[in-house]
Amino acid sequence: MKMGHVTELLSAYLDEQVGSGERARITTHLEACESCRAHLESLRKTVALLHTTEPVRAPEGFRARLRERIDAQPRRAPRTFGLPRLPWSWRTAAAALAVVMVGLFTVNLLRAQFPRVALQRARGPEVSVSTPPPPFPGPPAASVDRAARAPEVGAPAPYTPGEPALRRVIRTASVMLEVGDLDQTASRLTRIAEAAGGFIADSSFAQAGSTPEGTFVLRVPAPRFADVLAQVEELGHVQQRRISGQDVTEEYVDLQARIRNLERYEQRLLAFADRAAKVSDLLAIEQELARVRGEIEMLTGRARYLDRQVDLASIQVSAHEQAKASGGFWDFSGTLTKVQMAFLATIRQLLRAAETVVVAVSALVPVVVLAGLAWFVVRRVRVARGI
Amino acid sequence: MSEEADLIARSGGGDLDAYDRLVELYQDRVYQVAYRITGNREDAWDAAQETFLNAFRSLPRFRGASAFSTWVHRIATNAALDLIRRRPPQPPVSLEDVAVSAGDDPAETATRSELQQRLHRAITSLPADQRVVVVLRDVQGLSYEEITAVLRIPPGTVRSRLSRGRESLRRQLADLAPAAGV
Repeated sequence: MKMGHVTELLSAYLDEQVGSGERARITTHLEACESCRAHLESLRKTVALLHTTEPVRAPEGFRARLRERIDAQPRRAPRTFGLPRLPWSWRTAAAALAVVMVGLFTVNLLRAQFPRVALQRARGPEVSVSTPPPPFPGPPAASVDRAARAPEVGAPAPYTPGEPALRRVIRTASVMLEVGDLDQTASRLTRIAEAAGGFIADSSFAQAGSTPEGTFVLRVPAPRFADVLAQVEELGHVQQRRISGQDVTEEYVDLQARIRNLERYEQRLLAFADRAAKVSDLLAIEQELARVRGEIEMLTGRARYLDRQVDLASIQVSAHEQAKASGGFWDFSGTLTKVQMAFLATIRQLLRAAETVVVAVSALVPVVVLAGLAWFVVRRVRVARGI
Repeated sequence: MSEEADLIARSGGGDLDAYDRLVELYQDRVYQVAYRITGNREDAWDAAQETFLNAFRSLPRFRGASAFSTWVHRIATNAALDLIRRRPPQPPVSLEDVAVSAGDDPAETATRSELQQRLHRAITSLPADQRVVVVLRDVQGLSYEEITAVLRIPPGTVRSRLSRGRESLRRQLADLAPAAGV
């Protein structure tokens, strides 16, 4: 029926809330349709009826009660109510996001740096006693220095094909020990060295601060190197250990070759000397012979020196006594260090905790974002429905 | 109006006396909305109180993006709707009984006309979304634009909800407006 076409619009038509096109259509329709006119009239009366609803007034005491409740409330609690101030909340969200990003960035930065530290730490103990030293990335300058200063000896290393002689390595170790009693340690070290067929090449004592310190250099036959090192380390608590090997095979082989050549040259010079006719020739040959001989002696000496060093390994032991807590009733020399340590430890723990929090929060970010989005959508839908 | 603006500004700064005066200006309108939407005086009281408490808390953030009246109406409708949403669902008939007998002041009930009761019952029988629009438009006398702003819904939705609500009321109250042939 025709009426159905405009009934929907009659309410808005009453309030003059229809477009001009619509209004024209409705007017035309109304002129033609009796029932729609009646409907409109009925609707108009209903609305008029609604306008007659008595205004309801707020009950007595409404304001007084409100005042009481506002007074009772903790002041300044501007919690978000139904109408979130969007600009504000967006700014907050952006700030939060920025904080999280900065946090993530920081954590990543830390991550990038920590593995390097861990690696360096792992590399230390890796150099075990049994491993033959690496070809020659060169031991730290200090150990080279020591190698030159102290007489050193190497161990016969595994035979390498292609090399005419055994691999020759000068082995050195330096160990820092914390021991109970320094004197006792000194005598034990002597016994260990002698039992292994070696000796104490050097020893010194020093009293720095409250704890006496001693430095010993043990020379032991290369094959006993690992064995002796293990015994030495049993004497106390190892705080630091460095083992290095200096491969002198190349230099040694070179020396041998040069000596052989010079000796051959010497033989030939001797042969010339036998056949020399003139005195002047003989003198020249003798002179050359003396020079060659001197060179041979020098090279042989160097080779012997290397031999000795390779044969006897050296172990340098720095030992100091445990810092005794009962250093004396009035001994507070360590207090400052302890305070410093505690202070730093606390800071480190705080940083760790902060890191943990940041990591946890950043793990939650996606969840929070999703939840926020869902909340926003639900809110929108509800507002749109007016419920 | 400038007095109202002044009151709003002072209330936002925490001036309780200014707010008291502001409440005085708006309490009847707010209470009316709450009453017509919730259907009874008890809930209306709660919703209206809640409205003004919330408004006071949110006032510092009210920057006049909309008219204060619109703003207060929005808070009031939301508070009232919140309240009926939280209320356990009851059959409409018993709700009306509560509204008339239990929730009302007996003296007032006696003096209230039969017509007023019929009207009130008819309004509260409407579905919530239609009821809100009808109350805002035909009881409070807000314009379509204001309703759009209060409810944050498109004008077309206001129009259709109002149309459906009025049509439903027209049927219910047909005997009071006998001019219609339907």
